[in-house]
Amino acid sequence: MKLRDFFDRLKPSFSKGGRFEKLSSTFEAFESFAFTPNTVTGGNMRDRYRGCHIRDAVDLKRTIITVVIALLPALLFGMWNIGYQTSMAYGLDWGFWHRFWFGFLRMLPIIVVSYVVGLSIEFLFAEIRHEEVSEGFIGTGLIISMIVPVTVPLWQLAIAVAFAVIIGKEVFGGSGYNFLNPALVARAFLFFSYPSHMSGDHVWIASPFHFAGDAIAGATPLGQLMASRPLTASAFDMFLGTIPGSTCETSVLAILLGAALLLITGIASWRIMLSIVIGGGLMGLLFNAIGANEYMQLPFYCHYLMGGFAFGCVFMATDPVTAAQTNAGKWIYGFLIGAFAVALRVLNPAYPEGMMLAILLMNCFAPLIDHCVVAINIRRRKKRWLAAERRTNR
Amino acid sequence: MKSDTIRITKGLDIPIPGAAQRELELLFPSHDGVQYEYAVKPTDYVGVAPRLLVSEGDSVIAGSPLFEDKNNPGIPFVSPVSGTVKAIVRGEKRKLLSVIVEADEGLQRNRQFKITDADLTDAEKIREMLVESGLWNMLRQRPFGIVPRPGSQPKAIFISAFDSSPLPVDYDYILQAHRSLAQSRENFQQGITVLSQIAPVHLSLDGKSQRDSFLANTANATVHFFEGPHPAGLVGTQIAYIDPINKGETVWTIGVQDVAIIGHLFHTGTYKPDRVVAFCGPNVLKPIYYSLFAGSDIPTTILKDGSGKQRIICGDVLSGVSMRRTKDNIASDSFLSASCDKVCFIPEGDYYDFMGWLRPNLRKFSISRTFLSGILSKIKIQCSKIDFDTSKHGSQRPLFVTGEFEKLVPLDIYPMQLIKACIVGDIELMENLGIYEVEPEDLALCEFADTSKTEIQAIIREGLEKVRKELGL
Repeated sequence: MKLRDFFDRLKPSFSKGGRFEKLSSTFEAFESFAFTPNTVTGGNMRDRYRGCHIRDAVDLKRTIITVVIALLPALLFGMWNIGYQTSMAYGLDWGFWHRFWFGFLRMLPIIVVSYVVGLSIEFLFAEIRHEEVSEGFIGTGLIISMIVPVTVPLWQLAIAVAFAVIIGKEVFGGSGYNFLNPALVARAFLFFSYPSHMSGDHVWIASPFHFAGDAIAGATPLGQLMASRPLTASAFDMFLGTIPGSTCETSVLAILLGAALLLITGIASWRIMLSIVIGGGLMGLLFNAIGANEYMQLPFYCHYLMGGFAFGCVFMATDPVTAAQTNAGKWIYGFLIGAFAVALRVLNPAYPEGMMLAILLMNCFAPLIDHCVVAINIRRRKKRWLAAERRTNR
Repeated sequence: MKSDTIRITKGLDIPIPGAAQRELELLFPSHDGVQYEYAVKPTDYVGVAPRLLVSEGDSVIAGSPLFEDKNNPGIPFVSPVSGTVKAIVRGEKRKLLSVIVEADEGLQRNRQFKITDADLTDAEKIREMLVESGLWNMLRQRPFGIVPRPGSQPKAIFISAFDSSPLPVDYDYILQAHRSLAQSRENFQQGITVLSQIAPVHLSLDGKSQRDSFLANTANATVHFFEGPHPAGLVGTQIAYIDPINKGETVWTIGVQDVAIIGHLFHTGTYKPDRVVAFCGPNVLKPIYYSLFAGSDIPTTILKDGSGKQRIICGDVLSGVSMRRTKDNIASDSFLSASCDKVCFIPEGDYYDFMGWLRPNLRKFSISRTFLSGILSKIKIQCSKIDFDTSKHGSQRPLFVTGEFEKLVPLDIYPMQLIKACIVGDIELMENLGIYEVEPEDLALCEFADTSKTEIQAIIREGLEKVRKELGL
């Protein structure tokens, strides 16, 4: 194969002692992107190898790429919706492809900036550490670009991505060692650093013109609720996603398509998704029962349709690195995310969106939840030891 | 004594084609089954520091001591055949790799022992005899997987008489394959009887296929039936369900064929280490059983023409030992390990796979359902042509995906947390999370399924060794 020959020819100069030794991680990243490596179990061990000689065909690249594929329906819908919102707000008579193309061109720089900034840092750290480049950011980078308002200034996005990758991930040792979801770290960074660009009614609709002085207000349902204004979108609109909001979070339908793929392939934990839905629903019902204000009276299922609830539930709370790791822990973790997300929305007037904070909060508590679950196992084992000791002493 | 069936739901059966058929041949028919060279390898045992007892050129008989363990002296590792010590092979830092014995042509001379009927009920005498004959080395102690110290007393002895791993062997057949072999029902029963003098014996059988087997009527042992996917046949799983190991306790385990060899010794007074070994794998010309001696040289002539580079694995493909390989992944040393019931031949997977992370792929095996083949097998459609090879199918990453191990381990432990405890080397945490209840093979399926391609069994072994050193054992 031609491409293989090409890599084989270049490989010596990127290996130890070669001219581009310092770029070996970069070379490895591109090579393993094109070809699954030829390493065998037991590696280069020439001596006898004791262990598992055959391996499952799955690897992390395949896992991440499955997540990316699952994101595509929401991404494509989001692109169309950007065009749709703009054409509606400005009264422009655009067809389907025109709307999509407009959204595509608005999304493209966001995606490019997110990937270029994030991957550059990942590659740099991999070279410094003499490690292989982890593929984790392929998913994270896309997710970041999907949860920001379409009007996000690109320089702010770049700083947020850099912050998320360095402080959210690399300082802890890179992909697999971080305790906070890096995509949410980026979103939270933007939210707290540049609140005026991240919330309010003026950030959700892209201007069809190249200067941004004339932004048009497009209130999200959450924004309307917070301001005690009547909802303009019907539940069905919110389900379809034809409403203003973060670029790709609006369509529950598209997100459900992605969720289906994640569940069929078993990449994401159904326990987490289901328990978030249960937790959010119960909290919503509880507020319905109290019913002290309009927000509390909102039917519980509407919480699933608004804001980042569905997107966070499917794509961000299920990040295996930052979620609880034990099965029992996943139930608790998910339930609390759902409950906190709804509670934060309804009770805290400062934050229209509770999902991001709920997930970040539970990211912090996930290790504690696991610790408690494992402690039960340890206690059971110690009881058995004690009982055995008593038996032998008798 | 029989007990109820124990059903296991967690685990995985990997459908590798080429399991051995019920047929027996002599591996080297032209020489009465005796071939030229045999090897005894200290590296087959955990934590053995060998002290040589012979030098090159010495003449030995079957059962003669070759070396012993400095840490556990007095128990000889013996020659499987009579002949001459041909070579003492050393590796880096003069580490002893193997002692090679060239077999006599013609009749074999075997070491004889004097055994009276009274000896068969005397536990002390039985221990003495096992130690003197070197058969003691066939016993394994859990925790740690070491050869037990001669004076130690186990809580119980566990034997698994069925194989649930890929390419399974059939112990019912092995014990009935040929009348002249040490591997016979009578010797197996004799072995069980002898061992039961030391500690209670638990024998585990397959609840599906072995209910009517003669093994179900084994005397002097408690018979248990297990049903479910692999690792139901692993002795570690069985111990966990029958009588789990507590801190400070030890149990012994031993293989079916080793029991029969012990039985043969106590039956006839002769040391005769013959074994029935399955040669299996997708590229084996005729996957059947062969009768041979421990330490035999494995011929590759039994492979199909043009089957390419093959890895020779003693034991099962999930936790066995491979032969030493050359730089091009060609097996260089091919002597059978001790206590080996099957030899698996698996194609080497040292190829590049173009865009392997993206293609749907019907010919690769995965339980993750990210492959079309994985989804199809979940809805009970088995792809007919699945390739199994030694490719790692990816590069190593930090432990990333969660929840995949829990589905495969039927023990009451948290595999991910235990593995991490071993990585950081926290002894107290390892103890608390159940390190005493596992051997690396018990987590072999985790290593198989791991998306991050971690060497889990090596990590567990390192953890066990760390605890063992700490305890000074």
